[in-house]
Amino acid sequence: MAEPYSGDEVVVLDCETSVFDKKKGELLSVAAVRVKGNEIFLTEALDLTIRSDAVTDPDAVRIHYLRREDRLAGIEVEDAIEQLLAFIGNRPICGFYIEYDRAILNRYIKQLYGFKLPNRFIEVSELYVKAKRRHHIHEVHLDLRFEGLAKDLQVPVVERHTAMGDVISTALMYIKLTGFRKT
Amino acid sequence: MTIQINLNQPPFTFLSNEQLEWLTRRLDLVFFAAGATILDVGAAAPGVYIVYKGVVEEIDPADNRVFSQYGKEDLFDVRAVLESGCKHRYVAVEETLCYLLRADDFIQLVEQSDDFSVYFNTDLGTQQSMVERQDSSVSEFILSRVDGDVIRTPAYVSAQTQLSRVAEMMFEKKQDAVLVRNGQEIGIITGTDLLKATLLGDKTKQSKAVDVAQFNLIEVEYGEFLFSALLKMTQHQIERVIVRREGQIVGLLELMDMLSTFSTHSHIIAMRIDQSRSLKELVVAAGRLETLIETLNGQGVKITALTELITTLNRRLINKAFELIFPERLRKSVCILVLGSEGRGEQILKTDQDNAIILEDEHDKEAVLPLLQQLHQALLDFGYPPCPGGVMFVNDMWINTVEGWQGKVKRWLESGKPENMMNMAIFMDAEPVCGNPELFKPVKQSWQLESLRNSIASARFAKQALNFETPLTFLGNIREDDGKIDIKKGGIFPLVHGIRSLAFEHAIDECGTLERLELLKQREVLDADTVQGLRDALIFFLRIRLRQQLERDGGERGLSQQLDVNQLRSVDRNMLRHALHRVKKFKQLLTQHFHLDSF
Repeated sequence: MAEPYSGDEVVVLDCETSVFDKKKGELLSVAAVRVKGNEIFLTEALDLTIRSDAVTDPDAVRIHYLRREDRLAGIEVEDAIEQLLAFIGNRPICGFYIEYDRAILNRYIKQLYGFKLPNRFIEVSELYVKAKRRHHIHEVHLDLRFEGLAKDLQVPVVERHTAMGDVISTALMYIKLTGFRKT
Repeated sequence: MTIQINLNQPPFTFLSNEQLEWLTRRLDLVFFAAGATILDVGAAAPGVYIVYKGVVEEIDPADNRVFSQYGKEDLFDVRAVLESGCKHRYVAVEETLCYLLRADDFIQLVEQSDDFSVYFNTDLGTQQSMVERQDSSVSEFILSRVDGDVIRTPAYVSAQTQLSRVAEMMFEKKQDAVLVRNGQEIGIITGTDLLKATLLGDKTKQSKAVDVAQFNLIEVEYGEFLFSALLKMTQHQIERVIVRREGQIVGLLELMDMLSTFSTHSHIIAMRIDQSRSLKELVVAAGRLETLIETLNGQGVKITALTELITTLNRRLINKAFELIFPERLRKSVCILVLGSEGRGEQILKTDQDNAIILEDEHDKEAVLPLLQQLHQALLDFGYPPCPGGVMFVNDMWINTVEGWQGKVKRWLESGKPENMMNMAIFMDAEPVCGNPELFKPVKQSWQLESLRNSIASARFAKQALNFETPLTFLGNIREDDGKIDIKKGGIFPLVHGIRSLAFEHAIDECGTLERLELLKQREVLDADTVQGLRDALIFFLRIRLRQQLERDGGERGLSQQLDVNQLRSVDRNMLRHALHRVKKFKQLLTQHFHLDSF
């Protein structure tokens, strides 16, 4: 995992948490897909719901639709982290506001394994800002919300606020922003 | 993660629920930039792409012709997966997002599901009938015919059999009636007959079958509509009829069997028409025809069965009105013709009246005219709008004696004027529906004369088929006008009229386009492929037109010829393009055949 990555794939991921708080937010679900060039390997996607009875914040910025009943049917968080790490390997990790997901995951990984994710992280909104800058559009004129990006990039938003739905939209943004590199 | 495309449409509906469920878990997503080549000539396809968003063009790189276009929920390129390599180039016209079902997975589905595989390995017609069949398989009473499934094999006794033995046989064979042979004659004894004869009458167990049997049998032909059999039963107040096939008795049709097989009651409409004693009652019955069509179409009944049924019912309706209006004395001295699509039996929803009348005697005209007005009014009340071109038996031009009609036909054909050719076209599809059909025979013969069918008349006649352009673009796509095409001008008319022209040239007696096609094939005027293609195309046009007409409101929706291309399911859009291509090719064939370039 610590080996530097030499392939051409990235993993796009997204976590849903009980409250929107890097320190207190409990992991409720995580979704991840491998992206290679212009392909999203949906068939092998990871979509995990974690067993948790955490009290969710009704005013959470990110509204997720995970009912307590669904969560109780989920898997243990240790299992989820293990599966996720195996899935990611040493590939770069990409996401929207990935800093948050990174913090949440590192909190769990540190607790379980005593290390932090060494992977390279790619922030989709950063790719977006850079692309716009090349067209001389300044950041202050941009709508940097998830929906704003999706709209400007004309990427479909599917099942917003499910981890998997957000991951797919984010993956599409990534493919577009990296120029549809064909494999 | 649910899939963002509608899989509840062909060809996916040929899969079982488990297979569909599996399929949705076997889809990857691929995102293409505008202008990107998705598949190139000769390349092996990684799988079947299903468009989620965007537009893809299939291009023949040899001449850069656009072969086809794919939009949301369209599939490509099945052939490249099933056969070897891609024949054309697939390019994303705009940014395009596709689901990708990998080749191995697709082939696995094709191997598992017969229907799915047949769908991909067949021509337009088979695909279409699969779609139709699949839309529903409800067996509707009104479309069912007297066949082996509903009739019972009769048990026979001889004339001399004792009644006690007859009763035993009924019990053994679980039949409520047996047939009695008395020499050449066949009679019937029912359970009720036995009871009446023995308990209410003076017959005993030892009496002979021949003394109780009834010999005036009520019969139907094998293959008739079931509702006709039902009508006979109600008219005669009996519970079974004899079924004959080519003169031989093949079975008994029992009321109870019919009713237990079919629980719906759409046959009531036929009974209503038949039992109406006033025009008012007929109007009520006529009003229910459209509901019937909606129901049957909703159940996915085949369009050919639907047209045949509606034609039968329409003719029953007009015939009944004719009987109510015309006194018996006059009924035999006139012949009322229905023309155009009604004559061809290709009408489904009510369209404008096209009709004419043949009088046996010019002197009857005065007596007949007010009756025709009444009949015309009745048709209006039934919901048939007046013909805008005035092709109706209330107009002088469409009332004639046999000789009058013969002369008129001759003048039409000799003049060669387009409007006369169109009159001839409408008239050529005439079918006698009321009165004396014998009057029509000499009229019909008048355009089946060798001398009239010289090549110039045939060519002038055929020329009308080229009046409207086929709505296809130079590049072979559907050319829409605000998302719409006129399906009559663009597809139905050229096809129907072209076939009519060939039927005219070859003095074919049949009126229906499908029947004409069959005969043209038999006489080797058209080859089997062309016939099959045109047949599929016509049925397809009628089907999608009906579907969109039914979605509209209002009594005159049958008149609408506009087809909203965007409303079509992707599978239908594809078929429409194919069908229009068939028509275009057929027009080229007509041009060559009749040398229309020189007219």
